[in-house]
Amino acid sequence: MAHSLSEACTPLKSEYDSCFNAWFEGYLEPAVSTTPEQRTKFSNQKAAEYEEKCGKIWEKYRSCVQKAVKDKQLDALLDQARQENPLKEPPNDSSTNKASSS
Amino acid sequence: MKFFSQSFLYDDPWSIVSFAFFLRYPNPYASHVASCDVISRSLSPQGTLITTRLILKHGALPRWAPKGIMKNAESWIIEESEVDPFGRVVRCSTRNLDHVKIMRVEETITLRQTEDHKTIQHTEARFVSGFGWGLTKRIESHGVAKFKAHVHRSREGISVILNLIRQSRMQPMTLGSPGLMTTDKSFTEVTRVEHGEKKADNDEIQARSPVQQTGGAWTKITSWLRSG
Repeated sequence: MAHSLSEACTPLKSEYDSCFNAWFEGYLEPAVSTTPEQRTKFSNQKAAEYEEKCGKIWEKYRSCVQKAVKDKQLDALLDQARQENPLKEPPNDSSTNKASSS
Repeated sequence: MKFFSQSFLYDDPWSIVSFAFFLRYPNPYASHVASCDVISRSLSPQGTLITTRLILKHGALPRWAPKGIMKNAESWIIEESEVDPFGRVVRCSTRNLDHVKIMRVEETITLRQTEDHKTIQHTEARFVSGFGWGLTKRIESHGVAKFKAHVHRSREGISVILNLIRQSRMQPMTLGSPGLMTTDKSFTEVTRVEHGEKKADNDEIQARSPVQQTGGAWTKITSWLRSG
């Protein structure tokens, strides 16, 4: 697996990635016939399973990466990116114009 | 601004392509990826999985680039994705966080299940340079040209991972058999990831003992990689 941005976090990342990937494989294949109720049930089950299996290692890995992000002073860049959130914007949005005219 | 768009059809089902897509680093075609971290991940009330990853990529500047334009050719990339297992869609959007005045590249990839249970990937990218000095267009064109080459390589990378997943699902009981290990090119390539420049030798692979058969494809892939 790819390394973490901080070598200190790489072992935690490997452990977390393994846990997540095992979970993710099942998450991608819900039962074919799904009523809204079944969906909710599946989602809740998977959420509980994730929390139970990967919750602890995720917290450890996350706090390690958060510290590394601060140490490398990447948090300002990230905050800026967060505010823009491209997933929720239509393709021709104002942020592009801003970037090109700045 | 320049715009690039392309569609590609995978013969594999959506769940496998999506799995491979998330496993794509590292692969032999992505040696420029220095690090990749999940910085946030949550399940939405609708049951979709939302992930933000922070990726560090190495790059090379073109020869005509002004000296001192960048301290180094590294770039931080943010990747935001949403997986909808019910609607069978992955949406993934990436862009660079630094060097945005030289050029900002935004890429959006969607993976969708088709009616005949294949997977269509649609890629869109926008290139915006605010550099000026008469170089704006040249920088943007360079970006598009590099991107076109990159699209091909990134698909090759996903194919390598797809092969591994396919094998682990189709031949679960013969994982350690010489036939599987020696005839498959993709295995050799992936082995190379873990061994740097050292080429995987077929005999060496053949000599390896069969690995444990538990869990899904992911468990098998990791045990293959570790068995080196």
